[in-house]
Amino acid sequence: MNTRAVVNEFAKMRHLRVGLVAAFMIVPITGLSLFAVVTNPDFTPNAPDAWNALLAGMSLGIPMLSPLLLAILASRQTDIDHTSNGWLMQSASGLTPGGVCRAKLVALGVVVTTTTIITSLLVLIAGVFMGITVAPPIGHWAGFTACMLIINLSVLALHVLLSAKVENQLVALGIGALGSIVAVFSQGLPAAAAHLTPWGYYALAQAAGYEGAQIKALPISYPSIAALGVLVATIFLILTYRFDRQEA
Amino acid sequence: MGTINVELIKLKRSLAWPVVVLLPVVLVLAGAATQLANGSQPQEGWKTVWIQSVGFYGLFPLALGIAILGSLVWRVEHRGTNWNALMSGPTSSRRIAVAKASVVAGLAAVMQIVLLVAVIIIGKVAFNLPGMLPSEYLGITGLLIVATVPVAAAQSALSMFLRSFAAPVAVALVAAGVSTAALMAVGNFALISPYGIATRTALLGTGMFVDAGTVTGADVVGILGSSAILATTIIAVTAVILERRDTRI
Repeated sequence: MNTRAVVNEFAKMRHLRVGLVAAFMIVPITGLSLFAVVTNPDFTPNAPDAWNALLAGMSLGIPMLSPLLLAILASRQTDIDHTSNGWLMQSASGLTPGGVCRAKLVALGVVVTTTTIITSLLVLIAGVFMGITVAPPIGHWAGFTACMLIINLSVLALHVLLSAKVENQLVALGIGALGSIVAVFSQGLPAAAAHLTPWGYYALAQAAGYEGAQIKALPISYPSIAALGVLVATIFLILTYRFDRQEA
Repeated sequence: MGTINVELIKLKRSLAWPVVVLLPVVLVLAGAATQLANGSQPQEGWKTVWIQSVGFYGLFPLALGIAILGSLVWRVEHRGTNWNALMSGPTSSRRIAVAKASVVAGLAAVMQIVLLVAVIIIGKVAFNLPGMLPSEYLGITGLLIVATVPVAAAQSALSMFLRSFAAPVAVALVAAGVSTAALMAVGNFALISPYGIATRTALLGTGMFVDAGTVTGADVVGILGSSAILATTIIAVTAVILERRDTRI
């Protein structure tokens, strides 16, 4: 990995308001996760399954907002190279377009990893402050966070590729908006249908949800999410190596 | 009118149609997908089809769609030396602000009509519902067309200020979220926000969140009044700010 290229991508972020978008990823998702609990009159902090309400909130909040915010992050980080012809300049200085894409993914990946973990921890801490007395299901919680992280990084990687290939940001943001819709509605679809799009995997990582009138913990499809991670990583590497062999 | 025609010509190759057509169609399909997959029928017929399509649409996808259209309409002006051409041309700032907001509002209106047609098609073709969509929902669609004008004006203004394509979309996402929360917290007082008006109108008759399930005259008057005041104010302020802007060197 080219460390200087990654550092360069962080330097580009300074004027791209990436911090603001990252804050958008944390605050509204945390708020949305807690909102369902705060407004639910049936929520009792002493109930043995009280944490499931928070997990269900996150299972809805992350799919609803992350696809579009990831599209915004990737398209802003890539558009700067389209508008200033950064691809050509970096090629001339020895950094191929594929290498630039990999550096972008690593740099943005650090931001997305941080925001995903912080969001998960904030909801966990909020649960403690809300007076939930039973011990949190740490294993299920960590598994859910790891799965959401893998899906977020996979969607981010695909958006970096898309934004690098298609200059018009309309396409990236339009797909991001559609991704949010697909991610939310995939929760009501059969598991086979959820496997068909990258956003459907958010539904496969749903940690808790309504079963009848009660919120219950749901099993996470770990193998499917691991497969998504491996598949997207392979596609990303193949396509970025192909980018390396193209004229800038 | 000439200014609006010019804007329409600029739109020709702008790829606005995927947003205008795909966004409402995907939402209607997604809303119906669960029942289609299960092979079940909507419990309350047309009302259920409407709620599952438009209920979620009004929360934030509607604002996002309009935000993308706003960015799209202003994108061309921020490229190359087009901003300087716009600033040094004979067209007044007021006419530019009105024309841009009108084009965004026009595209948003087409989006609502596509949504209505998609709901009717899914109800008739996929669920084979008897009769036609109740006229109440046709009225709500008409109201939604008016209620999206302030959002169109606000997003047009944001896209004028911000050269970034994505930033106004992010602002719309947050503003729609805040307005929905405000609607639930303070009810119709949230109609002071353009995004609150659009969300409130989309929720009319659904019985979701702030809506009681019945459309009252007070709701309609409140929405129309707020829409007229906000749209006029936003466009006037946009024109004043644009008037103070200059060429970029």
